[in-house]
Amino acid sequence: MKIIVAIKQVPERDAHIRIDSTGNWIEESGLQYALNESDAYALEEALQLKEKFASAGDEVIVLSAGPERVGTTIREALAKGADRAIHIVCDDLGARDALGVAKLLAAAIKQENPDLVLSGLQSEDLGLGQTGVIVAELLGLPHATLILHVEGTESGLKVKRELEEGWFQTVELPMPAVLTIQSGGNKLRYATLMGIKRAKTKEVRELAASELDGDAAPVVVLEQVTMPRKQKSTQILPGTAKEAAAALVEKLKFEVRVL
Amino acid sequence: MSSVLVVLEERGGKVSRISWEALAGGQRLGSQLGLPVCVAIVGAQTESLAAEIAAQPLGKVVRVEHPLLNHYTADGFTLALQQLIQSESPAYVILPHTYQVRDFAPALAARLGQVLISDVVAIGDGPVFTRQLMQGRLNGNYRHTGDGPCLISMQAGAFRAENSERPTNPAEVVTFTPTVESNQIRTKPGEPFRGSSQTVDLGSAQLIVSVGRGIKEAENIPLVQELATALGAELAASRPICDNGWLPLERQVGSSGHTVAPKLYLAVGISGAIQHLVGMKGSQCIVAINKDPDAPIFEVADYGIVGDLFEVVPALTEALKAARQ
Amino acid sequence: MTVLLPTLAEPQHFSLAEKLLFVGLAMASAVGFWRRFGVVLDKILDSKKDPSFRLFPAGKRVWDFVWEVLFQGKVIRERPLPGLAHAFVFWAFCAFALVTLNHCAIAFGIGFIFSGSVIGRFYSYFAAAFAVACAASTLGLFVRRFLVRPRWLGETLSYQSGVIALLIFILMATYLASFFVNDVGPASRILWWIHSLALLIFLPLIPHTKHLHLVLSPVTVFLSRGSFAQIPPLAGDEDFGLVAGTDLTRLVSLQAYSCVECGRCTEHCPAANTGKLLNPKEIILGVRAYLNDLGPASDQPLLGKYNEQEAVFQCTTCGACEFQCPVGIEHVPILVGLRRGAVNTGAWGNPHGSKLFLALERGSNALGLSSAERDKFIEKQALPIFDGTQEYCLWLGCMGGYDPKGREIVAAFVRVMNYLGTSYGVLRKEKCTGDPVRRLGNDLVFQQLAEANLEALAQNKVKKIISICPHCVRTIQEDWKDYGTPPEIEHHSEFLARYADKLSKQDKEGKIVFHDPCYLGRYRNIYEEPRAVAALAGELIEAPRNHEHSFCCGAGGGLAFLGEETGERVSRNRAKELVATGAQTIAAACPFCNTMFRDALAATGEGAPKLLDIAQIAARGLPPSTSI
Repeated sequence: MKIIVAIKQVPERDAHIRIDSTGNWIEESGLQYALNESDAYALEEALQLKEKFASAGDEVIVLSAGPERVGTTIREALAKGADRAIHIVCDDLGARDALGVAKLLAAAIKQENPDLVLSGLQSEDLGLGQTGVIVAELLGLPHATLILHVEGTESGLKVKRELEEGWFQTVELPMPAVLTIQSGGNKLRYATLMGIKRAKTKEVRELAASELDGDAAPVVVLEQVTMPRKQKSTQILPGTAKEAAAALVEKLKFEVRVL
Repeated sequence: MSSVLVVLEERGGKVSRISWEALAGGQRLGSQLGLPVCVAIVGAQTESLAAEIAAQPLGKVVRVEHPLLNHYTADGFTLALQQLIQSESPAYVILPHTYQVRDFAPALAARLGQVLISDVVAIGDGPVFTRQLMQGRLNGNYRHTGDGPCLISMQAGAFRAENSERPTNPAEVVTFTPTVESNQIRTKPGEPFRGSSQTVDLGSAQLIVSVGRGIKEAENIPLVQELATALGAELAASRPICDNGWLPLERQVGSSGHTVAPKLYLAVGISGAIQHLVGMKGSQCIVAINKDPDAPIFEVADYGIVGDLFEVVPALTEALKAARQ
Repeated sequence: MTVLLPTLAEPQHFSLAEKLLFVGLAMASAVGFWRRFGVVLDKILDSKKDPSFRLFPAGKRVWDFVWEVLFQGKVIRERPLPGLAHAFVFWAFCAFALVTLNHCAIAFGIGFIFSGSVIGRFYSYFAAAFAVACAASTLGLFVRRFLVRPRWLGETLSYQSGVIALLIFILMATYLASFFVNDVGPASRILWWIHSLALLIFLPLIPHTKHLHLVLSPVTVFLSRGSFAQIPPLAGDEDFGLVAGTDLTRLVSLQAYSCVECGRCTEHCPAANTGKLLNPKEIILGVRAYLNDLGPASDQPLLGKYNEQEAVFQCTTCGACEFQCPVGIEHVPILVGLRRGAVNTGAWGNPHGSKLFLALERGSNALGLSSAERDKFIEKQALPIFDGTQEYCLWLGCMGGYDPKGREIVAAFVRVMNYLGTSYGVLRKEKCTGDPVRRLGNDLVFQQLAEANLEALAQNKVKKIISICPHCVRTIQEDWKDYGTPPEIEHHSEFLARYADKLSKQDKEGKIVFHDPCYLGRYRNIYEEPRAVAALAGELIEAPRNHEHSFCCGAGGGLAFLGEETGERVSRNRAKELVATGAQTIAAACPFCNTMFRDALAATGEGAPKLLDIAQIAARGLPPSTSI
């Protein structure tokens, strides 16, 4: 089974965010980058599927678009067990909209003709949660989102999908297909020293964005970023036990919205 | 004919609250741009849903009906709405940002050569659509620059459902029948099910009430259990409680127990030692009840009550029971 | 006046037949010896060389050899009575070197210790004194092993020990008996033959039993790694730690074969003492069994049949085992080596461990919290930022930066530094020093952390560091050396002790018991400095297990980040001991000890003693006007 995992390199969770001089993105100098969390789960699912199926010709290929620095994250994915990688070198990824990015990925995936395409549910920076679905649409493949678990069947796949409020659903679909993977479905494996050493010899094929799809004119543009004004502060509810309890119930009803 | 088309979603046979909120957003946009607002509902039998919508008189209500739409599938809904949009040519299409919408709307947009602006929290002049980036630490303003419809999904609570206007004219209800063939539906969805209910599944609990050393004795635990029941929450505990055997280990939250991230974490009599914090810091909303105003738990709490839990907890249980009625 | 003392009988005129018999037996004995010893020697020499081993400087080696081997210092100090008994046996063996040579020479008529000469006679009495002591000691040790049966010698009786004891006793007895017979006559000849047989049976038994240590342990003590609990660097791209036999180095093999099974390591092990699987003696014997069965060229995993992975990950790296070992076995690098073999190859799948590794892969601290939390603390405490002009960089560490108790310790220490007018600053950003992942054997994450931190320190021009955490101190000073040159660092107890005279005595806290942290005491040899500070607050008393015998709190070796323990909690065991001293206050000098005891004391209930870090003790004595 040939599986492609589309991954994204995003700024570290802990990163100190400052807005850059153009006002429409964050200052990137001095940022540390890491593998997007739900993509790590997608990679983990792919590696586990490969281990489960264990037939000849099984491959897990990671695919990522972005500038040169993406190479470190690709190597990390190879260290965790992916067999080879494709790096779409693109220095202006931010100038493309979700459709533009998906077109690049779809073009590269088409060349490979995989059985399954996995991606994380959404990225930690933009958080659009759409790329996987758009890729499926562009490739004309069936898809399912918010997947926690993947199983093979005679006719294709059976997947466990997360629904709201603690409900789940199984969906059956044929292969080839695209799945977007929700965080938390598996225990992630950590990168090992042995993995990193072995990754040095694995293939990373570079493709230029211009080779794949020139059309990058976006239909939706992020024109400005701002810092949100509200900071997290603790609201202490005053008064007697009864008064405070009543105030809390109000908050739970109208602000937290759990009642 | 330019309009704002709002696609509503049903939950348990009724229109979901987040859909009403999306409608409120759509109405705001409509009045901002001077455009009429239409509502669509998709399914196999949408008569009662349409009646519910029409009972709150609005502009046009479109019942998008086809037998193959009886269960949600991405293929079915995408095909149906694509045809509706091509027929109605709205300027804006608004959907609630639900798991279901996230599953098909990006594909729908791509099919129309568009890109969905997802999880919008505010609409400004322009119009510009604001969404949250970097895990809520940054806001981004998006603008639609292409031709054709602009698709948007609205975050829960971005607009208040109570704000939905009530125009004086009753709604016009029409039916739209899309063309859908069974071989176009490639996925087969199963019946929804819950996670196993026998064992405690703190990991998937949306509401958790957690008890700590402040409870003093095992005999007092039922006090907190009542609160949990009144809230409809799962009961959890910090390590000392489980160590003493007052609650089973599977209810332990913390570095040597479960890591949870529910919508609401209510910490009763828990001081907030680091070993506990690392197990629940991801919770969306943290409420703390503790008699020590300097307890570290208050630093991570969104709401706090400084008081004797033996007074506050019963008061809260009462208030919750009253609110549920 | 001549005192008529008995003289040693030396039989004369051995016949050719006797000589040939003796030579034949001696050769058989030697062959018997070599057949086994040769195999052991081969296994050791066939093992991988230790790439980081340096013979020089040899000063410490010579000192250790003299103290531990010749003076039997460790053996006596840790178990005085049995240790002295053993020392007598050892010294008797040394004294008997010449006696034995002479004994063999007698067969050929070339005995060189003439009973006639004064020196000769003196020497014979000298040896006799030792013989008496040795015989008595052997008897005593026999009684101890077979009748008293202390539990750390193991459940099964060691019959080989009994046989060896018997042989030694016979050797000594026949020697002493020879003073009471004539040179001529059958008695002396019979004694001579008994002695010879005992000797020639003893010799081949040496390499077949734990008495191999007679030959190996002096070498093992001399060829130690050079410092306590020293973890060797990995060598080359294919070295992932101790995965299989091919990874065992000569030092490890030598140490495995030197084990005398005395059980002192297990006796002091916090895991073994709280009902866990880990038994340090069994770890070493497991390696030895692997070498015996499979040898150093095997690629079978070391963990599995010969040692269990679960046991290896119950170690807190407290070092009590290594500290106690009288034959120079270095347990800590072996345990960490086995962990490396499991972790660096991904064979260890513990969920808490994975969580820790992932947290440090992506974030800055071992707790998985956002670094904004540390920023908030710095802001709230108004801590000065290090800008290259201050004398000290105060290293907060994960506990000092994120843990509520650790923060209290930092806050107290900062008050003292402000009072003393010390010039210091904290770094804007810190990454975890990597102590837990280093001890757990994850070299990938450790390297990333060490290199990132070293670069940050160099960029910030840090020359001197103070830390409240002995784990940070150890890791920065020693473990980071694999990746660069760390700045000078000291623990806050060392700093505070220098200024103890400037801090006022309070006498408010009643009796105080100080708990020696493993990484400050055994690892760094600092015992009195924290006591000097603790004593400021009251009457200092000692727990039964104190100074280098201090019993671990259970947090080390990365265990503070792993899941629930099996058996009794180590922290509970130690807390009970500390509470039982009757002290009103427990003084700690490590934020991990502090957090472990905080939990353990909470279970004790209302009457529990107060728990204070020495920084908090020092701060309490400050005049109230001292601002934070």
